Amino acid sequence: MAVLEFRDVILAYQRGRPVLDGVSLQVEAGQVVGLLGRNGAGKTTLLRIAMGMLVPQSGRVTVFGEDPRADVVGVRRRIGYVSEVQELPPFMSVKDVLTLHRSLYPDWDDALAERLGSRFQLPIGARIGKLSKGQARQVALLCAISHRPELLILDEPAGGLDPATRREFLETSINYLAESGTTILFSSHHMTDVERMASRLVMVHNGQLWLDSDVDQVKEGYCLALIPEDDVASTDLLLGIPGCLSARLRDGVWRAIFERAPGKCETDLQRELGCPSVRCSRVGLEDMFIELVGGRS
Amino acid sequence: MLFHLDSQSGVPFYRQLMDQVKLLVATGVLGAGDELPSIRSLAVTLGVNPMTVSKAYAFLESERILERRPGRPLVVRAQTERQLEGCRQDHLRTSLDESAILASRLGISDDQALDIFRQALDARPAEPDTKESI
Repeated sequence: MAVLEFRDVILAYQRGRPVLDGVSLQVEAGQVVGLLGRNGAGKTTLLRIAMGMLVPQSGRVTVFGEDPRADVVGVRRRIGYVSEVQELPPFMSVKDVLTLHRSLYPDWDDALAERLGSRFQLPIGARIGKLSKGQARQVALLCAISHRPELLILDEPAGGLDPATRREFLETSINYLAESGTTILFSSHHMTDVERMASRLVMVHNGQLWLDSDVDQVKEGYCLALIPEDDVASTDLLLGIPGCLSARLRDGVWRAIFERAPGKCETDLQRELGCPSVRCSRVGLEDMFIELVGGRS
Repeated sequence: MLFHLDSQSGVPFYRQLMDQVKLLVATGVLGAGDELPSIRSLAVTLGVNPMTVSKAYAFLESERILERRPGRPLVVRAQTERQLEGCRQDHLRTSLDESAILASRLGISDDQALDIFRQALDARPAEPDTKESI
């Protein structure tokens, strides 16, 4: 059974301007799904719907096979969530926040909470408002995983953290993942974090899902083709070639992303376009993201 | 045991990990019976999804480089000298594939390319002990 399922989900904050425009997504148990997308693409909205915090105008959402709105408390107890913004009460001490969460979650694991607390070296008596951004994030993560959730939802968890704190955040999540096999759905602008943690990559753009692929497959099955301007008449011609996902002209060169392995793509395109100077190379996640955003019709 | 993953490279992490284990075996740094780190500990050390490590290990097992024993860490399988030789040659060939393509793009003839490789061999710095340097 899918842990999370979206079917044809549409949500608009303003009439006629959908933030999510027909999203279907199925996340299986044990998958780690990284959501990529520009600011405003709809990632946070998607995660908030999964949490039952927002209700779509149309479409169907199930979490653990149920409507997240039907049994809010029951579903929430099986989910861990770290939001994009600091949501813990600033006037409470770290200790009080932990006590509060412990009382809300019957499955709270004291040993795990203690282990994380000492790993992060959290000042237990300090008020949340006095913590550094990194420390506040660590408290949020501790609260999100100490009840051993079956689904962990992280919205831009490493946003604004320095590289060392970000790495520790990542390692803590991976450690929990390795021991529990939990399902994770997270959004991030840090491509390396996505590449390290995710097993599956989903790109959101203008409220729709573009690319949904195994992370390794992105590196092995896609490439960037560079073609001299004179050899192709138009963007549409390139986009009409099977496997072409995006195309744009920059500085006299067509740059196109193909869903094909680089070696074969190069020889195929040279033949199809009758142009021996076509070059295809493997493409990292960051470049792929930029090309897709910039060159999609 | 030192593994390093390069996120700039277009090569998936599991492939990078496989290549590095193979190199360690080919050069004799890892020998028959040597234990590999557990999936979990290597995943946390490298900061990658445990599936990445288990995928690399599974492929290495199917290529008969690693051996699984129930309830114990994976170990390096005994390799014949012929297998090791093949492994070393594969490694060099992989790194030359791109150079071969580049040679034809640059219009360099095969003879010229071989000459250049010979020059590179002559120009390399002396390595006292290959095993130590890895």
